Amino acid sequence: MTMRNMTPWKWGRSRVVPAAREATERYLEPLHYAMNELFREFTRSAFPGFGEEQGTFYPDVNMTEDEREVKVTAELPGMDENDIEISLTDETLTIKGEKKTEREEKGKESYYMERTFGSFQRVLPLSGRIDATKADATFKKGVLSITLPKLEAGKAESKKIRIKTT
Amino acid sequence: MEKNTLNVEKNSGERQVAERTRDRRTCIPRVDIYETGNDIVILADMPEADEKSVTLNLDKDVLTIEASIEEEHMGGHTAFYSEYGLGDYYRAFTVSDAIDREKIEARMKDGVLRVVLPKAGPAKARKISVNAG
Repeated sequence: MTMRNMTPWKWGRSRVVPAAREATERYLEPLHYAMNELFREFTRSAFPGFGEEQGTFYPDVNMTEDEREVKVTAELPGMDENDIEISLTDETLTIKGEKKTEREEKGKESYYMERTFGSFQRVLPLSGRIDATKADATFKKGVLSITLPKLEAGKAESKKIRIKTT
Repeated sequence: MEKNTLNVEKNSGERQVAERTRDRRTCIPRVDIYETGNDIVILADMPEADEKSVTLNLDKDVLTIEASIEEEHMGGHTAFYSEYGLGDYYRAFTVSDAIDREKIEARMKDGVLRVVLPKAGPAKARKISVNAG
């Protein structure tokens, strides 16, 4: 993983935000959500048009694991699976794509626009070795699920490091 | 759109008649609302919902969108990173008489609900006869 991927914010077109490996406390989730909404509302009202042309669509991701596999799910409602690209390296899983707006209808006038569209890219760090040949993805009900089986060798590989005495 | 043809209820909780019986988080789906020549269209992002789990209800002038989402079966997995939580969906809208209530249609695809509310034809002028007596 490059240093760039580890910066929490990238100001520009391609937002590369890796997921931090921390368990979000369940009771903090609503607060987290409310804060995000508050900031979104604020930037929208205070700086009209800010970020809009860059495509503010940013899918939320969950990651779970057991000793055999890692499962990643991403909320991509209204997307076409042909517009989603998934790639895998030793250390990262990248999901990118573009959520396109619905076919424009003639004389359409919008009153509410809460849904977002545009290009996105998520780079998620992986721990442990993944068997890329057995990776599997499905897209159902607007949710992308990726199953990444862990390699035998990587299952519980830890090495003790001896401290030398002088 | 004529004012008040379709209103999004800000405090959706107040209009609810019955108390919720499910002990589940409730999410408010994000919506787009637009108008074409004949219809008003609501698009709602409801990932994890399908045509079986979504209920649309028109009670008097309140249109409600609801979906029950079952708890995810973790199968021994532990979550180590989480940005979203699963929950039911609920949102209410007030519909005026300018909508033809009989012809409201809904469709669900890839986690997006599309509700088409046809505009009612111009209210026909009607003569009311006065009876003696």
